[in-house]
Amino acid sequence: MIPLIVAFPLIMAFLTSILPALRREKFSKYLFLIGMLSSWIILPQIIENLPFNEIVGNWNRISGIEVAADNYNLLFIMAELILSAFVALYVYGNYYPKKIENKAYVLLLLLHAGLLGAFISRDLFNYYIYMEIASVASFALVGISKEKGARRAAFKYAIFSLLASYIFILGIGIIYLKTGYLNLALIKENLRMSREINVALTLAFTSLLLKSGIFPLHFWLPDAHSKADAPISALLSGLVVKAPAYGMILLTLTFPIGIFVQRTLLTLAFLSMFFGIAMAILQKNSERLLAYHTVSQMGYVLLGIALLNPLGAAYYALAHALFKGGLFLSVGTIAEHYNTRDLEKLSYRSSKLLAIAIILLSLAIGGISPFIGAFGKSKISEGLYGFLKYLLYLGGIGTLVSFTKLNYYLSKRKEKAEIPRKKTIIPLLLGTLTLVGGIYLYPHLNILKDLSSIAMAFILFYLLKNLGVFEISTEAFIPEQFSSLGKEINAYMFLFTALLLLFLLNFL
Amino acid sequence: MKMSLIVRTTTKLISPFLVAYSAYLMIYGHLSPGGGFQAGVILAVSVILLITSHGYKRVRKTFKFWEVQLIEGASGGFLVLLATVGILFGGFFYNFLRGGDFGSLLSGGIIPLFNIGVALKVGAAFTFMFYILLRWVERD
Repeated sequence: MIPLIVAFPLIMAFLTSILPALRREKFSKYLFLIGMLSSWIILPQIIENLPFNEIVGNWNRISGIEVAADNYNLLFIMAELILSAFVALYVYGNYYPKKIENKAYVLLLLLHAGLLGAFISRDLFNYYIYMEIASVASFALVGISKEKGARRAAFKYAIFSLLASYIFILGIGIIYLKTGYLNLALIKENLRMSREINVALTLAFTSLLLKSGIFPLHFWLPDAHSKADAPISALLSGLVVKAPAYGMILLTLTFPIGIFVQRTLLTLAFLSMFFGIAMAILQKNSERLLAYHTVSQMGYVLLGIALLNPLGAAYYALAHALFKGGLFLSVGTIAEHYNTRDLEKLSYRSSKLLAIAIILLSLAIGGISPFIGAFGKSKISEGLYGFLKYLLYLGGIGTLVSFTKLNYYLSKRKEKAEIPRKKTIIPLLLGTLTLVGGIYLYPHLNILKDLSSIAMAFILFYLLKNLGVFEISTEAFIPEQFSSLGKEINAYMFLFTALLLLFLLNFL
Repeated sequence: MKMSLIVRTTTKLISPFLVAYSAYLMIYGHLSPGGGFQAGVILAVSVILLITSHGYKRVRKTFKFWEVQLIEGASGGFLVLLATVGILFGGFFYNFLRGGDFGSLLSGGIIPLFNIGVALKVGAAFTFMFYILLRWVERD
């Protein structure tokens, strides 16, 4: 039954793609909606028979491809289904101009099918293929954005994502050479650790880190996520970066992870967390601020993976998909109707529903207690010890400072803009979902801690504001040579190679 | 973008043979070396040869843009649909047409159908990609 969850969107993608040939473009939005929502039909049956695995075509495990649903990937599947349903409803109708409508729908369906396929697969090569389908669809979706510089961002994204894919498949090849299998259960049975497997794991982890936008390898992420249209940014930040994180979870569940690898991942997770926050505080572009928060929040997910706590990482990924998707949709809606992404010109005063949605989602991302963010954080901090727990707490305060800044600018009274009702209700629904989901999963109130962290965030915000930190322009720190795309890509490629070599030399 | 008379005559002669070879590969893919992807590539080459010798504008009149687009999407949909029909018989991608003697054409069940679907999909997709690139090059 599980493969059907991918089959429905895929059929609809193919059917939508032949509509222009038959001159029936006007039906493409109906097929699109059916494709995006039909996967929900399978979900009750998957939840009923959990954990559940199936070899496609009823072959035996050695010759077939295995797909499975268990406690870990069910959360990823849930996140995918919920956020893509909201994005589908947001895009449905006349979001895209008539000329590119059909193509955008096909690409969105392919993205949906690719992500679901990556999340259910238990076979390294199958996982790689579906992740590639999702990535290729997302390059194109970034490229069709109306924003200036979108194609440049899409090109950069394509180059680095493809680089990561090639290195990842090299790693898979080495694993296949040494064990003889691609199926993860069989690899686990027949595994004998050796130098070659270590090399393969290093290659796989480094490429997945690049794909998921963790700190030193985050350079493509803010551009790609901030130049895309609002619903696409929501999908990219909420879901597409989760696919490589799921790959890392699969690897940690299959292979024994050495203490050194674990420490490296832990360090990178914290670096990513604080770097993302620091950069987000300095941003003046609303979408870039949110994009840097993705770098920071992926640090939390990586923290769960590094502590060998995959359930915590999966819960945090679900939480992040909900609130970051909602934030991109709500802030993106405002930015679209004001026709600018400059924080100082935007305001949510003209729409009360959006204001409530953004405040709810900001509290959720800051980890305030009845919201789902607090649940994710409590799950992740289970394995943390000593001062690292305080570092996590500090990260939460940093996130709150940055979102205080966002709300401070947005709450100022500026000129009015008409925002259609549908576009305000969808972010509000996501906002209430983070609240309801949080109450359902983790009904604990921690008023003292939350109030003190909000108060500290406010104090820090006014301190930083009076010190003039928000006036610093980040553009001054970008080297002059980076104005040509080739030199920029070369520099980042060098950084990636250096990091890969460093990891290789240390893990051998 | 028209080439000399010799090239045009030769490609016209070769193209039908390539199509026949591709049909052999896709139908007998489960019994002999070959299969859907190879058959599809050869199918696409038969059209691409004509494009290089006769030019895009001439070929577009015979193999129309919308036809190629239709074959590409429809064969992709057919593949997934065939896999989904297997659910009724026991599982996704289940081979529900088993029959025939060992080594005969019918022994493959749905595999020849899959090969035909993949071949049409790959062939149409390659041709489609060439069409789009050439439309961009020759747009003036």
